[in-house]
Amino acid sequence: MIRIQLVDDEPNILNSLRRLLKPQGWQIDTYSKVEDALSGLLEHEYAVIVSDYQMPTADGVTYLQFAKQKQPHAIRLVLSAYGDRESMIKAINQAEVYRYLSKPWDDYEVVAALKSAIDLYQLHKENQRLREENDAQRALIKAREDELLRLEADNPGITRVQRDADGSVLLSDD
Amino acid sequence: MTHAAPTNADQEALNAKLEQANRQLLQSEKLAAIGQLAAGVAHEINNPVGYVYSNLQSLESYLTDLFRLTDAVDSAKSLEDLRLIKQNIDYDYLRDDLKDLLAESREGIERVKTIISAMKDFSYIEDEEFKLADLHRGIETTLNVVNNELKYKAEVIREFGELPEIECIMSQLNQVIMNLLVNAAHAIEEFGKITVRTRHTNGNVEIEVEDTGKGISEEHLNRIFEPFFTTKPIGKGTGLGLSLSFNIVEKHNGKIEASSTPGQGTRFRITLPVTQPDPDNHG
Repeated sequence: MIRIQLVDDEPNILNSLRRLLKPQGWQIDTYSKVEDALSGLLEHEYAVIVSDYQMPTADGVTYLQFAKQKQPHAIRLVLSAYGDRESMIKAINQAEVYRYLSKPWDDYEVVAALKSAIDLYQLHKENQRLREENDAQRALIKAREDELLRLEADNPGITRVQRDADGSVLLSDD
Repeated sequence: MTHAAPTNADQEALNAKLEQANRQLLQSEKLAAIGQLAAGVAHEINNPVGYVYSNLQSLESYLTDLFRLTDAVDSAKSLEDLRLIKQNIDYDYLRDDLKDLLAESREGIERVKTIISAMKDFSYIEDEEFKLADLHRGIETTLNVVNNELKYKAEVIREFGELPEIECIMSQLNQVIMNLLVNAAHAIEEFGKITVRTRHTNGNVEIEVEDTGKGISEEHLNRIFEPFFTTKPIGKGTGLGLSLSFNIVEKHNGKIEASSTPGQGTRFRITLPVTQPDPDNHG
């Protein structure tokens, strides 16, 4: 199940986003305190994390930087009422956010951004799964090769024995 | 220019000019302060507008669902069909959430209204005369205007006493209070407390703004009311806030004092008479 974390110090914002996203069928976790959001990171794996920029105890960029360390695969977005250059630059350079959305937001835009963030998350996940599978298969092949080399070292020629169709060993002159 | 002793008329004209210049300075300082607050105020308004706007769109989709149900009353073959639609649109959730949606949206609009009316109260230019006014109301107005500068820096604690209405120019006192609050927030490096205290003592009222900020060193404390004195970087402060505050308080026949312990915080105290000593005196 796709799990999304929303962080904003304003509960009404969280409620309206929850309403907006309900039809999508994603699991939505909302946090109005950064501290609670942090402990949420330890409990669940998120596909997407959306954070407000300015909050009382920590700003959104600091939070997302932390989230990046804890859950590097989660795609990070900022939803901010501050559209100033400085905050955007910080969000992009420090927290490496995928999208910077501004308040008031367009519902369609938020849903579209989340959908494409989820796609990206799933792509990364799929990539990772394939890479792991690839690594596992390589490891398997390597183990087999090693075994063959060992046998060959112990009994030279054993890996090159030729057999007949019925399994009997063929002995040739060379 | 003649070197003769100035006549009374000259003197009056000069005084009038000075008064005019002073008024202009006050007004431009106020506008500068509002300009500096503008980004914060935009933020304060964008938040409620953001969720109210989104809630309206959710409301629209709720209504579409509800109309599906009511329209089906005519076309449905059986009650069972209606029940199915009711289940389908998650009627119970809609019902519960509609109440919250409306209450939260109303709250959002109220907040925008409060901010706008505070801004209006605050930038009000006309009244130049002393009128009986409620200081607490002025403080609340000012707190609303600067809320965004404060809420990420400090918890605001109100320790209000019982106050009579006092003779004052409220818009000007608002400006003094704003200066003190914004300075207090700027003095706090991480997150602290700002206490706004009022009390009534024989014929005077006192307003205190106390912060838990970095404090003011002794050599600066003597100079803070000087015009253009500022420790803020260029472009961040005009250096006029406290000096104009001093003038405003003086005009009200009151006094403003600061005490500070570096590293612990600063306290400003304004003392104002409840009634102005000479009602004919317009300063």
